[in-house]
Amino acid sequence: MNEMTQGHHHSDDDIGCLEAIEWLYAWLDGELDQGSVEQLEHHLQHCKSCYSRNEMERALTQRIKETSDEKTPPTLQKRLDKLLDEF
Amino acid sequence: MMAQAATFCSEGFVGMKEQEKTKTWFSRQIKQNADALYSVAVRLTRNRAAAEDLVAESVIKAWSAIATLDNRDRFRPWLFRIMHNRFLSDCRKRSVRPVETSWSEQSEEGCGEEVTALLLEQPEEFLAWWATPERAFVNRLLGEQIRKAIDELPEVFRVTVLLVNVDGLAYDEAAEVLGVPTGTVRSRMKRGRTLLQTALWQQAKEAGLTGGAKFSE
Repeated sequence: MNEMTQGHHHSDDDIGCLEAIEWLYAWLDGELDQGSVEQLEHHLQHCKSCYSRNEMERALTQRIKETSDEKTPPTLQKRLDKLLDEF
Repeated sequence: MMAQAATFCSEGFVGMKEQEKTKTWFSRQIKQNADALYSVAVRLTRNRAAAEDLVAESVIKAWSAIATLDNRDRFRPWLFRIMHNRFLSDCRKRSVRPVETSWSEQSEEGCGEEVTALLLEQPEEFLAWWATPERAFVNRLLGEQIRKAIDELPEVFRVTVLLVNVDGLAYDEAAEVLGVPTGTVRSRMKRGRTLLQTALWQQAKEAGLTGGAKFSE
């Protein structure tokens, strides 16, 4: 069993790794409140495993965005311009 | 009588000016959101020609329903909701079943324990990678591998991940698009991410890209 699945705590006032991963997802999506962000950052400073996970999740989220971003093709652009003119 | 005509003309003039303003505003919004709409449409339909049709039809529907938009600040989620509904409607017409998940909709709330369980169900070597991931591993993944993994996600997770990660919608906005509670979006994001990472890991393993990871095999 790895460190994450044990809900590892690094100090008494630290959040566990499981909670850190939950919060990390919310943080990545801009859904974590400032107080929780600070607690999470504190945890990441002391937990190598979660720090690495944070790095990986950020990189993967960025790759997902990059690979899914599409530019509107000229054919669709013309079609939309025509539609908007006709409205 | 003259006063009435003048009032009518005045109201008509004001009404037309408002309509022009609305049209100008609507055109600007469509142009600003065109790339995002098309990006999601491509991943939804998995077909570029169908994606163009979906975007164009959604824009027509949005303009015809613009008077029902109460709050212009919510235009983006409103527009994406129209496109998502249109996509579902097209699937129904073609008798294609877009929702292909074994996950129970009823159990979507408060699924933190289920996510943990899902992680525990993964192969041992995946957990080893999951716990000590390497940034370089993510960088070695090809765009095509990432697109394939997204395309193969069960529909409910695929759409949610696209709306939040690709289009940058807030959870409450994505919830508005999908017509589900915000908590459901949160839980779908957790599951979607985990399923995506599992799929990517499998693909990378098959392609021999996991050489740097320390597995317990």
